[in-house]
Amino acid sequence: MTPIIEASALTKRYGSARGVEELTFDVPQGEVFGFLGPNGAGKTTSIRTMLDFIRPTSGTIRLFGMDPRVDGVRVHARVGYLPGELALYQRLTGEAYLRTFASLRDGVEWSYVQDIAERLLLDMTRRIKDLSHGNKQKVGLVQAFMHRPDLLVLDEPTQGLDPLVQQTFYALLEEERVRGVTVFLSSHVMPEVERICDRVAIVREGRLVAIEDIGDLKARATRHLDLHLDGPAPADAFAGIPGVREVEVHGDQLSLSVEGPLDAVIKHAARYTVVNVETHEPSLEDLFLAYFGADGSAPDVDGADEAPS
Amino acid sequence: MRGLLAKAVRDQRRGVIGWGIALSVVVLMYAAFYPSIKESAADLQAYIENLPEAISSIFAGEDYTSPVGYLESEFFNTMGALVVLIFAIGAGARAIAGEEEAGTLDLLLSAPVRRREVLATKAIAIVASLVALGAVTAVSIALFGPPFDLSVPLADIVAACVMLALLGLSFGGVAFAVGASTGRRAIANAAAGGLAVVTFIVHAIGPTVQWLRPLRPLSPFRWYQDPGLLTGGLHLRNVLVLTGIAVVSYVVAHIAFERRDLAS
Repeated sequence: MTPIIEASALTKRYGSARGVEELTFDVPQGEVFGFLGPNGAGKTTSIRTMLDFIRPTSGTIRLFGMDPRVDGVRVHARVGYLPGELALYQRLTGEAYLRTFASLRDGVEWSYVQDIAERLLLDMTRRIKDLSHGNKQKVGLVQAFMHRPDLLVLDEPTQGLDPLVQQTFYALLEEERVRGVTVFLSSHVMPEVERICDRVAIVREGRLVAIEDIGDLKARATRHLDLHLDGPAPADAFAGIPGVREVEVHGDQLSLSVEGPLDAVIKHAARYTVVNVETHEPSLEDLFLAYFGADGSAPDVDGADEAPS
Repeated sequence: MRGLLAKAVRDQRRGVIGWGIALSVVVLMYAAFYPSIKESAADLQAYIENLPEAISSIFAGEDYTSPVGYLESEFFNTMGALVVLIFAIGAGARAIAGEEEAGTLDLLLSAPVRRREVLATKAIAIVASLVALGAVTAVSIALFGPPFDLSVPLADIVAACVMLALLGLSFGGVAFAVGASTGRRAIANAAAGGLAVVTFIVHAIGPTVQWLRPLRPLSPFRWYQDPGLLTGGLHLRNVLVLTGIAVVSYVVAHIAFERRDLAS
């Protein structure tokens, strides 16, 4: 079966500015694919080639097996897009804006538009220029979902959304996934990608560092763990426990950096009287550390260059 | 395509209403001045003749105080042209470059529409706007002129207003093409506005500056004004030249916009 997205040695260079270099990846139908990297890593550049806003310097990108440059209309009819830097028509109300976009597409059911808008708690009667950043983001989201696309291309979709609305967005996304929709989601937030993606590509400085199943990624990530004991902690208490990379002792508190599963650490901690355990989500930096090592040595790119299957 | 066209037309609506009102007010003002101008006709004529030749040639060959001469020199060749050019150049520059700079072009083009359709609908909307402004001008002159003794045959008014709209279309086309090629509104405005100023001057003082004379045919104003806007109806060659500039501009816009990367 043709992958929904197929990038093959996709390269975009802008003069001296950084673009993307030789990106190769496939996204099969029904997958939620994360595109994770710091700002400026080339996430938006990749997305803009998918929609034919910019043209690759070399290599190819295909959506639904089609070249977006040749079959732009057919491709766009099946894609829901949320840009990273959302710019809407300021003078229109949310409703006027969405009606305009509905008029550009076939088969938008207005009741469905109202339904999503309601769930996201969007007041469509207000002018866009009077909306908060989060509310503008909701207009963008409704616009991306309104025609029930086969592929959602979302560039940093939850930025500016309050936590409650974020949950609604995740629920909406889950419903779409059940429907068989493919999702390409760019993010620089590790927990978000962990939560909703099946597979994740890690990009840095325009290059693909790795593509991994989310489970493997989690296993590989370095976690930070604070243990509060009921008395002063021995300095070398966790030395030599599998996965432990770093231990810092502050009186009754131990701060551990652990790579991979926490199992051995937890079992070892059971010997002490534990008052509290705090875990911190692995950050993107931790993840890069896992791939590059502290010295920034050659990345381990298993999976990144595998032949399209 | 229909949705795009509706959007393009709606985008123009405010501008057309505003500039349409401005044009009628300008016409009404000049019509209201006409009786006193005519009264002091002799003084004025003498004054013009005493101006340095470079300046007086701007008004040359016209009976400045007849309805035709007054409307041509005071409105069509100056204020009216200025208002229409400001509107047309602004609209042309805004069409693609404005949306691109605002960042709204991305989402518009993420809909199942072709770039060329966006371009075409925006061009159609600008043409429609200029037709509307030309019509408003013609109606204003026909309505506000006669009460002040400023009467010109309707057919001549219409012909002059067609030329006025075409003048706007040619310079608006240049702004449209530069905007669609560069994505930069300021560049589009500066290029088309600068061109308008330079070609206006070339045409206006060309008769008195020896070395400028051969350049006059290069000025769109030559093809707008000569041999007279309100006499002799439409001159086919003039219509063709101004329309030609607009058409060439559109083709340039099309080729450049289809090929290039959009700014993010």
